[in-house]
Amino acid sequence: MLKNNNSSFGKVLRYIGKYKYLLITSLILSASGVLLALYIPVLAGRAIDFIIGEGKVDFSRLTPVIIRIAVIAIASAVIQWIANTINNRIAFNTVRDLRNDAVKKVNILPVAYLDSRSSGDIVSRIIADADQISDGLIMGFSQLFSGIVTVVITYVLMLRISPKITPVVVILTPMSILIAKFIAKNTHNMFKLQSSERGTQTAFIDETVTNRKIISSYNGETDAIKTFDEINDRVAGYSLRAIFFSSITNPSTRFVNNTIYAAVAFMGALLAIGGSITVGGLTCFLSYAGQFAKPFNEISGVIAEFQNALACAERLFEIIEAEPEAPDKAGALELGRAEGNISISNVCFSYTKDRKLIEDLNLTAEKGTKIAIVGPTGCGKTTVINLLMRFYDVDSGSISVDLTDIRDIKLKSLRKNYGMVLQETWIKTGTVKENIAMGLPEVSFEQIKEAAVSAHAHSFIKKLPEGYDTVISEEYGLSQGQKQLICIARIMLLMPSILILDEATSSIDVRTELKIRAAFDRIVKGRTSFIVAHRLSTIKNSDIILVMNNGKIIEQGNHSELMAKHGFYEKLYNSRNY
Amino acid sequence: MTKLLKYMKGNRIIAVLAPLFKMLEATLELIVPLIIAEIVDSGIIPKNKDYVIKLSIQLIILGAVGLIFSITAQYFAAKAAVSTVKKLRHAAYEKVTSLSFSGLDKAGTSTLITRLTSDMDSVQNGINLTLRILLRSPFVVLGACIMAFRVDRHTSLIFFIAVPVLSLIIFAVMAVTIPLYKKIRETVDKSLLLVRENITGVRVIRAFCSEEKAVEEFKENNDILTGIQLFTGRISALLNPMTCVIVNLAIAALIYTGAVRVNKGLLTTGAVIALYNYLSQILVELIKLANLIVTVTKSFACGKRINALLEMQDEENEAAPADDEKSNSYIEFKNVSFSYSGNSENSVSDISFTVNKGDRIGIIGSTGSGKTTLINLLCGYYRPTRGTVFFKGIPLQNYDEKELRNCFALAEQKAVIFKGTVKSNLLLGKKNASDEEIIKALEIAQAADFVNEKENGTDSITEQSGRNFSGGQRQRLSIARAVIKNAEVLILDDAFSALDYATEAQLKKELDKHCDATQFIVSQRAGSIVNCDKIIVLEDGLAEIGTHDELLKKSSVYKEIYCAQFEQEDVVNA
Repeated sequence: MLKNNNSSFGKVLRYIGKYKYLLITSLILSASGVLLALYIPVLAGRAIDFIIGEGKVDFSRLTPVIIRIAVIAIASAVIQWIANTINNRIAFNTVRDLRNDAVKKVNILPVAYLDSRSSGDIVSRIIADADQISDGLIMGFSQLFSGIVTVVITYVLMLRISPKITPVVVILTPMSILIAKFIAKNTHNMFKLQSSERGTQTAFIDETVTNRKIISSYNGETDAIKTFDEINDRVAGYSLRAIFFSSITNPSTRFVNNTIYAAVAFMGALLAIGGSITVGGLTCFLSYAGQFAKPFNEISGVIAEFQNALACAERLFEIIEAEPEAPDKAGALELGRAEGNISISNVCFSYTKDRKLIEDLNLTAEKGTKIAIVGPTGCGKTTVINLLMRFYDVDSGSISVDLTDIRDIKLKSLRKNYGMVLQETWIKTGTVKENIAMGLPEVSFEQIKEAAVSAHAHSFIKKLPEGYDTVISEEYGLSQGQKQLICIARIMLLMPSILILDEATSSIDVRTELKIRAAFDRIVKGRTSFIVAHRLSTIKNSDIILVMNNGKIIEQGNHSELMAKHGFYEKLYNSRNY
Repeated sequence: MTKLLKYMKGNRIIAVLAPLFKMLEATLELIVPLIIAEIVDSGIIPKNKDYVIKLSIQLIILGAVGLIFSITAQYFAAKAAVSTVKKLRHAAYEKVTSLSFSGLDKAGTSTLITRLTSDMDSVQNGINLTLRILLRSPFVVLGACIMAFRVDRHTSLIFFIAVPVLSLIIFAVMAVTIPLYKKIRETVDKSLLLVRENITGVRVIRAFCSEEKAVEEFKENNDILTGIQLFTGRISALLNPMTCVIVNLAIAALIYTGAVRVNKGLLTTGAVIALYNYLSQILVELIKLANLIVTVTKSFACGKRINALLEMQDEENEAAPADDEKSNSYIEFKNVSFSYSGNSENSVSDISFTVNKGDRIGIIGSTGSGKTTLINLLCGYYRPTRGTVFFKGIPLQNYDEKELRNCFALAEQKAVIFKGTVKSNLLLGKKNASDEEIIKALEIAQAADFVNEKENGTDSITEQSGRNFSGGQRQRLSIARAVIKNAEVLILDDAFSALDYATEAQLKKELDKHCDATQFIVSQRAGSIVNCDKIIVLEDGLAEIGTHDELLKKSSVYKEIYCAQFEQEDVVNA
C-alpha cells in the first residue's frame, strides 16, 4: 500500500515537474514570508524593551525599530500573496493537465474497458478525485512546508531568547498531537457509519425523486416521506455523534496550548525576576509559544488529507495509465471509401474466458447485400456488430473488408466507412444541429435539414422551442423514438458505405418506421447493410437472414428459403415469441 | 441563508446556547492578557515570586474552565446544525414530493437530488462552523477592543480604526468570491457532464471518429475552469496577507503610541504588553475567520440553492379557479390544447371526445404525436393550456388531487419498479392488499409464472429500478400494480411493448374478465386496439376519433397504420 502510494506520489510529482520553477520560487517565497512574519515579534519585543518607564523611553532607538516592523509587515504580506498565487497556479494547472490526460485516455481506451466499469466511477475519478489531489496533495504540501519552516525558525528564535524555557515548549507541544490522534482514532467508526447511512439516503432520494410521477400516481408521497424521515433520523443521529466527538479535538488541543502558555509565563516571569530575560523577550517568547503549536495541530489534518489525496491519485492514475486500444499496425492500410465486400471467416469470440459466445462464425457478403441477424436475446447479435466495428477484436479467425483483414486497416478509416444506429440511443448535450452533424465537422444547415427530413425527424425538431438550435441532452425530454430519429438523421447525413442498424427502429412506431424504411432503402442501395431486428417483419426482404442461437449461425438464407426449411426461423416467425 | 433560519425553530435555545458558551470561553481568553500584564507590573517589576505563582495557577484554571465551556458549546453547535438540517432536508423532500409535474420538469431531477444530498451536507457543515467559530471570532475581536478601551482609552483608538478596516477587507473579498465560487461549481458540473458523455457515448463517438473533437471540447471547458479558479484564487489569497499587514501596522502604531504614553507616565509597560496581546489575539481570530469564510461561503451558496428550491413558485400547485361548467359524460375532453412550458407549439390541439363508463378506449399514433400528453392531461398531471377535461361531470381542476389520483391507475412503457420486494411494489397499489389479492393481480398481469419461479415468490427482492427483472417482466409487474389498485380508470400507456403477442392477448383477456374499469390503451400496434369501443388516432397533436370500422373509412392516417401492420405482420385480428 505504502509503496503504491509512494509511486503515485512520484507520478503526481512528475506532473508537477512541469511547473518546477514555479514550485521552487513558491518554496523560497513561502520560507522567506514565514521568516519575515516571525521576525516581527522579535522586533516588537525589542521595541517593548525600550519602554522602560515614565520619562525613560529611548525614542531614538525605538523609532527605527517601529519603522522596520511596518516595512517588514508589508513585505511579508506581499511575499505571502505571491506565494499563494503561485501555489494556486501549480495546483489548478496540474489538475487541469491530469484531467486532460485522463479524458484523452478515455477516448482511446478499449470499449471493453469502459463496458466493464461503471461510468459513474470513472467520472468521479476524473472530477472528484482530481480535485482531492489539488486540495490534499498540493495545498497540503505547501501547508506542510510552511508549517515545518515555522516550527524550525520558531525553535531557533526561542532558543536564542531563552534556552531554558524552550525545552518546556518543545516537550509539551506534542501532547496536543497525541490527543488529536486519540480522538481521530475513536471517531473514525462514527464517520464510517455516517457515510454509509448517507449513501442509503442518497439512493432513496435518487429512486424516489426520479420516479416521482409513478409514486404520485399511487398517492405514495406520504409513505415515501415517512420512509425518508426514518432514514433522515438515522443520518442525523450518526452525524451528531461524528461531528460532536470529532469537534472535541480543537478545545482539547487549545487547552494543552493554554497550559503551555501558562508554563511559559510562569518560568519566564521567574527568569525575568532573576534578570536573565527581559520583559520584551518574554512577550516575544509567549507569542512564539503559540505559533510553535499551531503547525503541530494542523499537521495531523494535513497528513490525513495527504493520504486521502494519494489514494485518489492512485485511482486517477489507474485510468491515465490504462492500456489504450491497440494502435494501428505499422503499414496499416488507409481504407478510403470501401466497396463494402465483407467476409467473416472462422470467427470465435467471447467476452469472458469461461463463457464461449461466438464459435466458428462464417459469412460472405458482397457489396450491396442486405444482411439481417435474428435470434433470441443473448444469442450474440450485438456481439457481431461489436466485432465488425472493432469495438472488440476477434479471439481467432478474421473479418475482412474489401479483402483486407480489418486488423490491418487503420482503425479510424475503417470506422469512417460504417454508419451505425444502436438501440441504445445516445444524445450529446448540444444543439440538434450539432447532434446530427456529429460525424462531419463542416456541413451546411441545408444538408442537416435534408438529413432530418429523410429521417422523418424534421417535423418534431421544428416544434422544439428553438428548432434546430434547441440544446438537447439525454435528459431533455425527447422520447426514445425521437432520439432514435436523430440518430438515424446522423446516418442520413453521413451516407457511409456500410450500414449497421442494431434495433435502430425499436422505439419508433410502425408507421414512421415504414417511412424511414423507404428512406433507408434509398440509401441502402449499393451499400452493404447489417440489420439486427426484433420485429421479424422488418427484415423479411433482406438478401441474407442469419438466424443465430447460442453464438452460432444455425440457419442462413432469405425469408422464403428459411420458411420452406420449417426450422428454427419458421418457429420464430410464427410465434414471434421472443 | 437567513430565510433558512426558520428551520432552526425548536433548536433556538440550543442555537443560542452554542455561541453563548463559546463567548464565555472567549471571555476567559480575554482575561489572559490582563493576567500577563499583572505578572509584568506586579510580579516581575517588584520581583514578587509568590504572586507570579498564584497568577500562573489562575491561568491554568482559566484554561480548564474554558475547555469545559468549549466542549459544551461544540455539543450544542453540532446538535443545532444536525437537527436544523434534518428539518430542512425533510422540508425540501416534502417540497419535491409536492411539486407539480411541470414544476418537476422545470427543475430537473438531477439538480433536485444534488440539493437534497450534497448541498444539505454542506449547509450542515456551514451552520456548525458558523455557530462554533464564526460567531466566536467577531466576539473575541469586539471583546478585545472593549478590553483595550478599558486599559487605555487613548491608545484603543488604533483598535477602533484597525477593526473596521479589517472587517471591510473580509467582506469585500467575500462579496467578490461568492459569485465566483458559484461559477466554478457550474463549470465543474459541465466538465462532469462532458466526461460522462464521453463514456456513455463511446460507441457513437468512436463510430463517428469524433474522439478528437470530444477531447478538444473537454479541454476548452477545462481551460475555462482553470481560468476562473486562478482568478478566484488570486482574490481569496489576498485575505490572509491583507489582514496580517493591517494588524502588524497596528502593532507598530500601538507600540509607538504606548511608548509616548509610558514616557509621560500615563501607562504602565504591562498595559502596553496587554494591548499588544489583544492585537495578536485579534490577528489569530481573524486568520481563523478568513480561512473559514471560504468554507462558509460555499455552504451559503448551497443554502441559497436549497432556498430557491423551497421557494420555487409552482403555478400548477396553486388552486385553480373552480369551474362551474358541467358535462353529462363520464369523461369528456372539451377543446383541449396543451403545450409544455417553453414550447411554442401545441403538443395536442383542440381535442374533444367523450367516454362512457366501462368503455375501452384505444389511442394510437406516431412517435411524438401526443399520446402520452393526452394521458398526462387525463390524469390531471398537467393542466390544459386551453379547454377543459371533465371527469364524472366535473372539471378535473375542481378535484382534490389525492382523490383524483385514487381514481386512475397507470402502467407505463418504461415500467418503474422500486427497490424492495415484488410484494412491496404491489402494495404501493393497494396498501392493505391480502396475499390472495396480490396473487390474483399477478395472475391477471401474466406475472404469476415468473414470480413463482423465483425462490421467494412474492417476497423476492427487486433491486433498484428492478434491474434483476427483464423489461417484459417489469412491464407485467407494473401492470399488476395498476390492477391491484382497482381504480375506476385503468390506463396502459404502451405497457405491452415488451410483451410478445400471445402474452399480450392472454393478459387482455384476463383484464376484461376481472376488471370492470374504464380502460385507456395506448399502443403503437394497431392489433392492440382494434377491438376498442372508441379509438383516438393522433397525428401531430390533432385527433381523429371513431370505431375501427369508422376510422378505416374516414381516417387516412389510421388506414395507413392499420394496413402497414396488417401487411407487415400478417395480423388478422378476427
